Amino acid sequence: MGCKAIGGRYDPGNRAHRLARSACVTTVSLAGLVLVWWFLSVAIDRQMLPSPPEVWDALADLFANGDSMTGRSAWTYIGSSFSTFIKGFLLAFAVAFPLGLALGYFNLLREFASPAFEVLRPIAPVAWAPVFVILFGYQIGPMMVVFVGIFFPLMTSVIFGVRKIEPNWTDAAKTLGASPLQIFCKVVVPASIPYLMNGVKVGLGIGWMCIVSAELYASPVGGIGFYISNQASAGYWPGVFSGIFLVGVLGIATVGAADYLHRSLSKRMGVDAS
Amino acid sequence: MKRAAPVAKAPRFGEERGVQIVIDGLGKTYRREDRETEVIEGFSLEIRRGELISFVGPSGCGKTTLLKLIAGLIPPSSGAVYIDGRLCAEPGADRGMVFQDFALFPWRSVRKNVEFGLEVAGVPRADRRERAERYLRLVGLEKFADSRVSELSGGMKQRVAIARALVVGPDVILMDEPFGALDAQTRNIMQNQLTDILASTDQTIIFITHSVDEAIFLSDRVVVQTKRPMRIKEIVEIPWERPRDRSSMEFVELRKRILSELEKENVMDV
Repeated sequence: MGCKAIGGRYDPGNRAHRLARSACVTTVSLAGLVLVWWFLSVAIDRQMLPSPPEVWDALADLFANGDSMTGRSAWTYIGSSFSTFIKGFLLAFAVAFPLGLALGYFNLLREFASPAFEVLRPIAPVAWAPVFVILFGYQIGPMMVVFVGIFFPLMTSVIFGVRKIEPNWTDAAKTLGASPLQIFCKVVVPASIPYLMNGVKVGLGIGWMCIVSAELYASPVGGIGFYISNQASAGYWPGVFSGIFLVGVLGIATVGAADYLHRSLSKRMGVDAS
Repeated sequence: MKRAAPVAKAPRFGEERGVQIVIDGLGKTYRREDRETEVIEGFSLEIRRGELISFVGPSGCGKTTLLKLIAGLIPPSSGAVYIDGRLCAEPGADRGMVFQDFALFPWRSVRKNVEFGLEVAGVPRADRRERAERYLRLVGLEKFADSRVSELSGGMKQRVAIARALVVGPDVILMDEPFGALDAQTRNIMQNQLTDILASTDQTIIFITHSVDEAIFLSDRVVVQTKRPMRIKEIVEIPWERPRDRSSMEFVELRKRILSELEKENVMDV
């Protein structure tokens, strides 16, 4: 096979070998996905399931000439989705981190807040989309859906992190003369950061799913989600799939970036990333 | 001018010293699901200034609880601890603590760990740095000041923790099985180093250990404990010169005697 040709036997200790191996595995996996898709599109033979080359052409056309129905370019859609996504994320971060710290630290507060949050948490964020779009408008609505999607995993991770802090760390700080406020700032906050990053990682994945589905509702100003629903209502299925393809690729990029951030920060904070 | 490595004091051991810490009728009862466990009851002891006193006893006898009570980390059910006549109810920088699992802050560098106590006390940066350097030198880790904690071996970590406790200048250092997590060889090295380090400081050390050997090697007095509720079975004075020879007759004899005392404790309700 191709992998073996690089340098005789596979050596797991060799970085180049590992990279080449994972590249091979990824390629095979993705090629398999395309083949299955291709096979299904031929076997089912309905226009709702276009073949890979048709979708590829639609995607290339979208990037080269923009969306012929709205005149917007591919980058406008991507930019719009990303900006909503980032804003929703930042808002969730700004609320969930301090709230998680407080709920983790003050037991009474957590006891009172938990039942309320437990009721809200299992609600799929998209369920709020129709409400938010009307309540906050097309601009803010989808952002709020992303906010809800990221908020809960983030807050839960921070609470968990604060409660998991080594009692010996706080004891050591106390015997070194730290006040409760100093313990909070210099022990509780830094110790919870790896957990926060874990929440960010999970949250970004969920948030990305939320943004596209929320945009399906928020027609006029939407990003990729809007493009997909618009193409579907026009009955141009290769266009729909080129949108879906974009969502997938950008999703991988987002999660990959979050994963990298999580690992490097956890390492910096001296805690195992897991 | 003498360079002030942690101020060299008069010989640490052997001189007459006054009482510094008074433990007066200390008791601790834990209540869990309607069951009361009396860990310590009516525990009284006077500890002299600058001595190294160690507590040995069957595991689970409440040694760590005693240490946390002295540190003020948990409130006593009865009795009190006084240092130089002051009541110790809250934790404070006058009683440093060294933990079995080191309890270093992994997000801070070695230097920043040592500086922690100075930082929370509001010591200016330059001063902080200078004092941390001095104590890192004392424990032989000046080259590792900027290392991450995770890069150090167990023995090195514990030296950082000792420097972190010493740097704030506490009256007393409480050591909770500080070498319990180390392998036998590192443990012996650390015991020797601790003897050296302590020779140049004047803190009182309250030392908890499972190892009778370690207790005899290090201590001025060894307190042998009973099982729960913890009481004092015997206090052994060890006025010997340091460093001590573990293979000497008297060392071996004493170890044998204390071990058999402890064994009786363990047999009692196993």
